[in-house]
Amino acid sequence: MPVAPAAFLDPALLAKISDLALLARAVVDGYMHGQHRSMRKGSSLDFAEHRSYQPGDDLRRIDWRVYGRTDRFYIKEYDADTNASVLFAVDTSGSMNYGSGAVTKFAYARMLTASLAWLSQAQGDRVGLATFTQSLVDVIPPSVRHLQRMLHTLAATDAGGPSQLVASIEKVGLLSQRAGIIVLVTDCYEQPEALGRAVDALRMHGHDLIVFHVVDPAERELPGDDDTTFEDAESGNLLPLKPRALREKYQTLVRAHHDALQSRFAAAGADYVRLDTSEPLDRALHAYLDARLTRGRVR
Amino acid sequence: MGFLTSAFLAGLAALAIPLLLHLRHRDRDKPVPFPSLMFLEQLTIRTEQRQRVSDWPLLLLRLLLLLLLVVAFARPLLRSRNVAGTDSRSRAVVVLIDRSLSMSYAGTWQRALDSARATIGQLEGNDRVAVVAYDDDAETRQRLTGDRGAATGALTGLTPRARGTRLAPALRVARQLLLDAPFSAAEIVVISDLQRSGATGIAGVELPAGVKVRAIPVGPAQWDNASVRSVDARRVVQGDRTLLAVKARIQQQGEAASRARSVTLVLNGREAASADAQLNATGETVVTFEPVPAPEGAVALQVAMTPDALALDDTLVAVVPRDDDLTVALRGAGSDALYFERALEIGRAPAVQVVRSGNTARAAVRVFWDELPDAGTTEWIEQGGGAVVVLGRRLSGRSGSISPLLPVTLAGSADRVADRGGTLRDVRTEHPLFQPFRETDEALGAVRLFRYARVDASANADVLARFDDGNAAVVERRVGNGRVIVLALPLDNNAGDFPLQPAYLPFVRQLVLHASGRDAVPLWRTTGERWALPGTITEPVVEAPDRSLLRPGSDSLGAAVPLSDAGVYRAFRGAVSGEAEAVLAVNVPANESVLTPMNTTELLLGVSTGTDSLRTTGAGPATDEELERKQSSWRVLLALALVALMVETIVASRGRRGTARRVTPASKTERAT
Repeated sequence: MPVAPAAFLDPALLAKISDLALLARAVVDGYMHGQHRSMRKGSSLDFAEHRSYQPGDDLRRIDWRVYGRTDRFYIKEYDADTNASVLFAVDTSGSMNYGSGAVTKFAYARMLTASLAWLSQAQGDRVGLATFTQSLVDVIPPSVRHLQRMLHTLAATDAGGPSQLVASIEKVGLLSQRAGIIVLVTDCYEQPEALGRAVDALRMHGHDLIVFHVVDPAERELPGDDDTTFEDAESGNLLPLKPRALREKYQTLVRAHHDALQSRFAAAGADYVRLDTSEPLDRALHAYLDARLTRGRVR
Repeated sequence: MGFLTSAFLAGLAALAIPLLLHLRHRDRDKPVPFPSLMFLEQLTIRTEQRQRVSDWPLLLLRLLLLLLLVVAFARPLLRSRNVAGTDSRSRAVVVLIDRSLSMSYAGTWQRALDSARATIGQLEGNDRVAVVAYDDDAETRQRLTGDRGAATGALTGLTPRARGTRLAPALRVARQLLLDAPFSAAEIVVISDLQRSGATGIAGVELPAGVKVRAIPVGPAQWDNASVRSVDARRVVQGDRTLLAVKARIQQQGEAASRARSVTLVLNGREAASADAQLNATGETVVTFEPVPAPEGAVALQVAMTPDALALDDTLVAVVPRDDDLTVALRGAGSDALYFERALEIGRAPAVQVVRSGNTARAAVRVFWDELPDAGTTEWIEQGGGAVVVLGRRLSGRSGSISPLLPVTLAGSADRVADRGGTLRDVRTEHPLFQPFRETDEALGAVRLFRYARVDASANADVLARFDDGNAAVVERRVGNGRVIVLALPLDNNAGDFPLQPAYLPFVRQLVLHASGRDAVPLWRTTGERWALPGTITEPVVEAPDRSLLRPGSDSLGAAVPLSDAGVYRAFRGAVSGEAEAVLAVNVPANESVLTPMNTTELLLGVSTGTDSLRTTGAGPATDEELERKQSSWRVLLALALVALMVETIVASRGRRGTARRVTPASKTERAT
């Protein structure tokens, strides 16, 4: 297996790769090279339970020791290395189309989603995609064969328009009756409490939820020194103000928002990962794998 | 300060536009995209700050730009003389001071100088003055200047000259002086005795509109003046002596009573005779001197009488040309030349001596009567001789070019007996040969010519007269310093009746005079003319009446000398030594002695002032349009607006308002620290 250099985890470099599949493979291979782990190995040998033999069962799976003690045929079952459904819900609203550096938040989210999807596919998971703004835009149901379609859709998607994050999350929850992993990639411009309630609903459906909160550095800092009119990327509203005078208050508000999100998602049982678009992707991958290992296994 | 099109000032309302833009829309030019205003909207925004102008330099630049444009379109003008430029818009006065001969009348010149100084002294502040002295020509003594001392100094050394009066050239000089320097008001002050004769030509002078002409008459209130009007001098032969009989005509004008005057005749600088004359109160008195022995050669004579109030015209000079007999060699003539010969023998000064044979070397003119010039004639002509070839019966029987010297080709003869004879036509009376017929050209029209040679003039010849059938009658050609004249015009009484006509005598006399180069010259000429020196004088040096030497440059037309002073001019060959080659007397025009003044109103009416010239020359009281056009402030304002526009472009794009500076996120390590 070719190994990608770790430098490929740098979003500024990755942004230069137009082929998402190549990008995702480079990211995953580069990351896995550093981990030295095989996710498949032994995962299918964990014993789960015994059940009575039914005609048609594979005779090789009969537990002969139990037959020796009980004189009955029992089939030995293992924890299956099942194909978990991983649905990536990506926010494609206008606010995601912002970037003060080399990459926009949406570009970062796209690379992140592609990489995670590649990684999931490599682990035998079914991957699907749902993009949304005010409502769902593109929906690709989770499947083991949908990776390429998903990557193609991601590549063809542009961010723009207003968003309704809460409503969209609720609709994402309705896409699959089967419990799975929902990876939500958004910039979380919504009230933490409302988002928490939406996440609660997903959790009630049995979904595991990982929220990647993509943040641009300028969003935290508030750009500009002179009088500036800010234009809302989604609504187009204009707001003239003096950034220098308001920066400190703004940063306080943002930090409070982030803290509120973290505590609310934690309360809802969701993983909350805040990603800076200037950071490499490895932290995101690491967080994802941790969550995947601890929660993603289903029978 | 004013505006030519003040309606454009309404455009000043446009100044509100940048102000409003800066107050209200200043932030909408290039808004900075931001992901969400969710948090920003929660912040307190101080609206009073938003409505404050934050970019004063840019706003002021834009206001200035608009202001410049509006004011430029309104076309401002400065009406104040002080502001509009003292130099270009001051009052200009041109003093024309008459220094002609008539100004030397007793007391006149002093009054003229006093008037000129008074005029200069009356100037105010920034007024400028120019001084022009004039007689029959104008001399700018001082161009327009604010220095009154210089203007007064320009009068120093001015004295009346023995010249005529012509006001028109002086007015043209004044006009040009005014046109060369802008002014707000102008005046031409004519200080003169206002001789009526001097006003000739002023009707053609057009002064710029608004230029005032003021005349200060300085002539005497009552005047009388006697002048030597003309002199008639001729040589008379008395025994073996040649005497000079001189007759002077003295004109008395004005309001004088009859008085006695002493008149003196001076010949070649020596007093030769004198006479007392009782001058009539008004009119001409002829003073006849006793004949005096005539000096050899040309005689410069002077008739002077006791001076009166105007002394310069009490003397008249004249030059009586040398009385060398004109010898004419007549060759080939028979009895048919009798009329010609007799006609030449009539008349004196000069007397014409016809030589048929013998020594003809001294002959000034050779007349070839129906025969061709001999071999040496060409060289003789080139040295200044004159040849006349009369085509008679013999030569007219030939055809073609009969001699390289003759500028004609023969084509047989014409017989006009059947139609009662031909006549002369196309006579060039402006030619010296026909000078006697300038006033009476019909005298030649009566001549009937029955037989004559048909000739065609060559290209380098002048046809001076033709027959009525178109054939050349008189053809002239210059050869070297001399000339050859071919006459198809019969001079005998067989081929025509010319000898029987009154025109015959003056014609043949003028013919030989012209052929010899001794055309009748006037006894004197007047100042202001030019003297064309005889071509025989090489490297001419002319001694003027004031003993100054003139070396006129000669061109293809010969040398000429301007006759600026009254007196006797002497032309020498190479250097002033020996006997002069040519002598010429020059007098002031006779009308200079007539002091009859004209009315000043007459002068003002004579000078026309243009209307359109005001617009084109900028003269006169300037209108608003003219002021504005001259100042052209709008050009400066537009240039400033252009500069302001460029500066505005630079200032507006310097990034202050364009795009906000992006906050550069701190690097990872910086954040960690």
